[in-house]
Amino acid sequence: MNTQEYISSGIVESYVLGLATDQERAEFERMCAAHSDVRAARDAFEISLERESLANTVAPPNHLRSKILSEIEIEKEKNRGNILANQGIKDDQEGVGKAPVVKLRGGGRYLAAASIILLVASTALNFYFFNQYKSVTAKYEDEVAKSAAYAQNERDYLNTIQRLSDPAMAIIKMAGDSVPSSPAPSSIATIYWDTRTKDVFLLVNKMPEPSADMQYQLWAIVDGVPVDAGVFDMAKGIVTMKNIPRAQAFAITLEKRGGSPTPKGQMYVLGKV
Amino acid sequence: MDKHLGTTITYNEQELVSLLKNRDNRAFAYLYDNYSGALYGIILQILDNMELSNDVLQEVFINIWRKIESYDPSKGRLYTWMLNIARNASIDTLRSRSFQNSQKNQSFPENVDGLSAGTSIPNIDHIGLKKMLEKLKSEQRVLIDLAYFKGYTHEEIADIEGIPLGTVKTRIRTALQQLRNILK
Repeated sequence: MNTQEYISSGIVESYVLGLATDQERAEFERMCAAHSDVRAARDAFEISLERESLANTVAPPNHLRSKILSEIEIEKEKNRGNILANQGIKDDQEGVGKAPVVKLRGGGRYLAAASIILLVASTALNFYFFNQYKSVTAKYEDEVAKSAAYAQNERDYLNTIQRLSDPAMAIIKMAGDSVPSSPAPSSIATIYWDTRTKDVFLLVNKMPEPSADMQYQLWAIVDGVPVDAGVFDMAKGIVTMKNIPRAQAFAITLEKRGGSPTPKGQMYVLGKV
Repeated sequence: MDKHLGTTITYNEQELVSLLKNRDNRAFAYLYDNYSGALYGIILQILDNMELSNDVLQEVFINIWRKIESYDPSKGRLYTWMLNIARNASIDTLRSRSFQNSQKNQSFPENVDGLSAGTSIPNIDHIGLKKMLEKLKSEQRVLIDLAYFKGYTHEEIADIEGIPLGTVKTRIRTALQQLRNILK
């Protein structure tokens, strides 16, 4: 069976709608990974199903919104204080059922009332301190995570600098003014091409931010033919592109998000090796 | 949509997913505002009972919140993932004992005039997938209805309809192929 027959066999719809068997699902996921046209057919059906569903909605009753959002708030709290909360519930449950019921008279009543008030007050205080404790713990964990992330970033940064400063790294400047029809002639981007490993790194020095549905795509020009070197998003510093064994020039075009097999959009910058 | 004095935020799907994975309440509210209507529609179509549908919608959104970590964009869109959670939850409810009991109660003739107290179910036969199904041949529609809205397996459908399993499979496959053309 070729992929077109496979696509039109009803499997796409059956997978998306959740009607496929486990075996069919596994096979479909393999096909999607291996064939971009299968994946494209799935995307197309999902999008039209979504469009159709969103055009025909039934608004749930208004009170559900706040109910669900506050439920989520509780979920969030639960996750944070899970261990402690579990402990608390267990202790409470052990206390219940063992307490004997005793009738009280006279002064005993006031004493009982006072002890209940004290209990309530202390529970409230416990709750208050528990919340304080939770928020401090959460803040501390946030800080630890942040500083680990900073350290990792710094290591990555140093590694990159070290690699880029290697004499074996060819530096190719791509400029907008090398392209007569460039929509942004002042654009500049730089290629770092490892002449030993053939790894390609890209730094965008200056290019206009594309709209959300578009993405820049890098091309290696090999004997006059553009070869896809990957798509990239802006504002990520130096990005690793596809490995390119051989090229005479590099260029960037603006394509639909996800890129194209051959360049269709306008060329922004070009640089010769 | 995005002209409300700059207060309306729109996210693309990737942003929305990563915010949800970071447990962002605002992104979740956005998700609810944009998708609850579509999911509620499918839940109502399966359960045909407002009170239970309200419970299921709540369960579905809490599950989305709990399981968002396991959502894998390479296997499909966020909406598809949520739709399947909603469908599965509805079908579980449909098969639960409490639902079977509530159906028994409904068959008592207490709402003869057709207007039972406070539960006017919106007309849901002409929206979304149900609307698309109207375009299928009735023999196909029945089978998709049993498979999709009632959650029966092909074998169960063959039993219910008294037709061979092979016929069930072929008809469902043809129906799905047509569905794709209807949607185009």
